Amino acid sequence: MTVREQDILRLSPKPLGAMESIYLPEVFKGFGTTLKHLFTSFGQSKFSPVKTSRTMQYPEERREQLPVEEGGQYAPNFRGVHRLNRDEAGRVKCVACMMCPTICPARCIHIEAAESPWDDREKYPKKFEIDELRCIYCGMCEEACPVDAIELTTEYDIVGRSRQEMIFDKEKLLEIYDVTISKKPM
Amino acid sequence: MHIPEFLTSQLLVSVAVLLVVFHVILGGAGMCIYLERKISAYIQDRIGPNRVGFDFGLPFLAFLKGMWGLGQFLADGLKLFLKEDYTPARVDKILFALAPALVVIPPLVTFAIIPWGGSWEAPWLPIPFLGWLPPAVVLVAGANISVGMVYVLAAASLGVYGITLGGWASNNKYSFFGGLRATAQMISYEIPMGLSLLAVLLTIGSLLPEQIIRWQYQHGWLILSQPIAAALFYVTALAEGNRAPFDNAECEQELVGGFHTEFSSMRFALYPLAEYAHLITGSALFAMIFLGGYHLPLGFLGSNHLLSPENVTTLGMIAKIAVFGGKTFLLICFGMLIRWTIPRLRYDQVMTTGWQGAIPISLFVVIVTSVMVYFGQTSLLALLGANVAMFFVILIALPLMPKTASNARIPLYGSRYSPMEGERVLTGPTNATALEDRPVQGTLAS
Repeated sequence: MTVREQDILRLSPKPLGAMESIYLPEVFKGFGTTLKHLFTSFGQSKFSPVKTSRTMQYPEERREQLPVEEGGQYAPNFRGVHRLNRDEAGRVKCVACMMCPTICPARCIHIEAAESPWDDREKYPKKFEIDELRCIYCGMCEEACPVDAIELTTEYDIVGRSRQEMIFDKEKLLEIYDVTISKKPM
Repeated sequence: MHIPEFLTSQLLVSVAVLLVVFHVILGGAGMCIYLERKISAYIQDRIGPNRVGFDFGLPFLAFLKGMWGLGQFLADGLKLFLKEDYTPARVDKILFALAPALVVIPPLVTFAIIPWGGSWEAPWLPIPFLGWLPPAVVLVAGANISVGMVYVLAAASLGVYGITLGGWASNNKYSFFGGLRATAQMISYEIPMGLSLLAVLLTIGSLLPEQIIRWQYQHGWLILSQPIAAALFYVTALAEGNRAPFDNAECEQELVGGFHTEFSSMRFALYPLAEYAHLITGSALFAMIFLGGYHLPLGFLGSNHLLSPENVTTLGMIAKIAVFGGKTFLLICFGMLIRWTIPRLRYDQVMTTGWQGAIPISLFVVIVTSVMVYFGQTSLLALLGANVAMFFVILIALPLMPKTASNARIPLYGSRYSPMEGERVLTGPTNATALEDRPVQGTLAS
C-alpha cells in the first residue's frame, strides 16, 4: 500500500532566533538543567528523603526484595537458569521428545535419549546437557515442552570457573529443581 | 665552600615546583577520570563509582572500604597496566610507540610558566656539601621566561602531533580520519585562540604570566574587561584539547574510537591522560589569564593582604597556591559540566563555527581592542562598554555574514544515495533467491 500525500506530515525545524544563532545563551540554559540534576543527585544515600537515582546496589539489594510494581522480580514470568522437573516418584519428567533442542535458537540443549526403564513412557534422557553460556534465556524450551519437564527458574546469578563447569548436566539440573521448588512451584 | 653561580634560589624553587606540579598533574589526570564519572553520574541521576576504596582486599584495612569510590583511579590505572600491550600487524612500529608519548608531553610542558604562588621570599636554602643559599625573592613557577604566552601557544599547538601520528601509524583508515580531523580542527582553532590572547596581551602590554596577574590585581579581572575574548579562549581551549563538544577526532559513532582505536594498555591510557592534562592546563591558563590567577577581590583587607602580589611571605604563597588551585578545580568541573550538557558538534559544524564564527569575531575583538589601546581607553569600564557594543554588533552582523551551502550531497560514482547525473544505479536485490521473486529494478539518477 502506498502512502497517500495527505497522510504525510511534513515537519521543518523553526529557524534560529538571534539569541539562538550565537549559541552561548542557549548553552547556559542547558547548564541550568544539568546543574539542577547535579545538585539534586549530589550526596544522595539510601537514607535521603528524595531519591532521583534508581540504581540498585546489587549484592546488598536485589530485585527479589522489591514489590513487582517498583520493578521487582515477578517470579512466574522470570526467566533465569533452567531446571528439570521431577514427577511424583522423584524421577525426571522428561520424555526425550527432542522438542526443546529443536526449538532452541541458541542450540544449547543436547539430549541423548535411551529406552525408558519405566513403563509409563518409551524414552527418557540418558544425558541432558544445557550450555548455560550459550543459552539466551528466551524460554522457548519451556514453551515447547509437552510434559512441563523443563522450566526456567528465578535464579539468575550463576557463576562458574570454567566453560566446562557452565555446561549443566542432568544431575545438576535436577539439583536445581530440588533447590528452587520451594521458591517457584511447578 | 663556594657555591657555583648557576645555583640560585630561583633554580631550586623552579625545580621543586616542576617536580611537584608534574606529579600533581599526573595524579590529577587520574582523579579527573573519577571526577568526570562522578559528575556525569550525578547529572544523569545515577550514583557513579562507589565501591572501590583503599582496603585492597585486606581485612585489617576494612575501615577504608567504599570511600565513595575514591580508589577507582588506582584500580583503573592498575587495570590498564596489566592489559596486554598489543601492537597490530603492519603498523608503523616506531611512530606507533612514539605517538602516545608525543601526545602527553605538550600539556605537561605548558605548565612550566604558570606562576602558582606568585613571588615568594625563599628562606635559607641548603645545598648538600656546598653550604646555604641566602634568602631571595623568587617566583613560584617552573620557568619565568620572557616570551611567556607565546610559549603557551607554541606548546599547545604541538599537541596535535601525537594524535595525528597515532592515527597515521595505526594503519587504519578510521584512525587516520580521526587524526586528520584533529589536525584540521587544531589549525582552525589555533587562529582564534591566538587572536583572543592577542587582544588580552594588547590590553596588558606584557607577555609575562606574572605581569598578567599583577595587571588584573590593579585593574580588575580580564573576564570583566574582555568577556568576548574570554569566551573565545575557553571555547578554543576546549577545541585544542579535543575535549567535548569538539571531540570529533574520537567520534565513536563515525570513527569507531578515532585515533586511539588500535592502541591498548598503557599506550591507550596515555591518550585519556593527555586529554585530562590538557583540560587541567587549559583550566589553569584560563584561571591565570582571565580570572586573576591567585588574586581574589579582597581589597577591603588593606593593600598587603595574603593574596596581593607584594606579599612574599610563606603563608601568602600557600594561600595563593590554594586559591589558584581552587579556581583551576572549579574550571575543570565546569569543563566536565560542558561535556555532559552539550552534544558533540557535527564535523562540518565544528569547521563552520571555527571559520565563520570564531575567527571573524576574534579578529573583530582584536581590532576594537587595538583601537581602544591606541586611544588609551584600557580602564575596566571602557573595555566593558566596548565589549557590550561588540556583542550587539556581532548579534546583528553574524546572521548577515555570507554562509556557504551545505555540501552533504556530492555526487559519487557508484553511490546508491547520490549517484552521478545519468548514472544507472542498481537498487534491486542481488541475491539469487531474491532475484527470482523480484527482477532487478534499475533507477536512473535524475
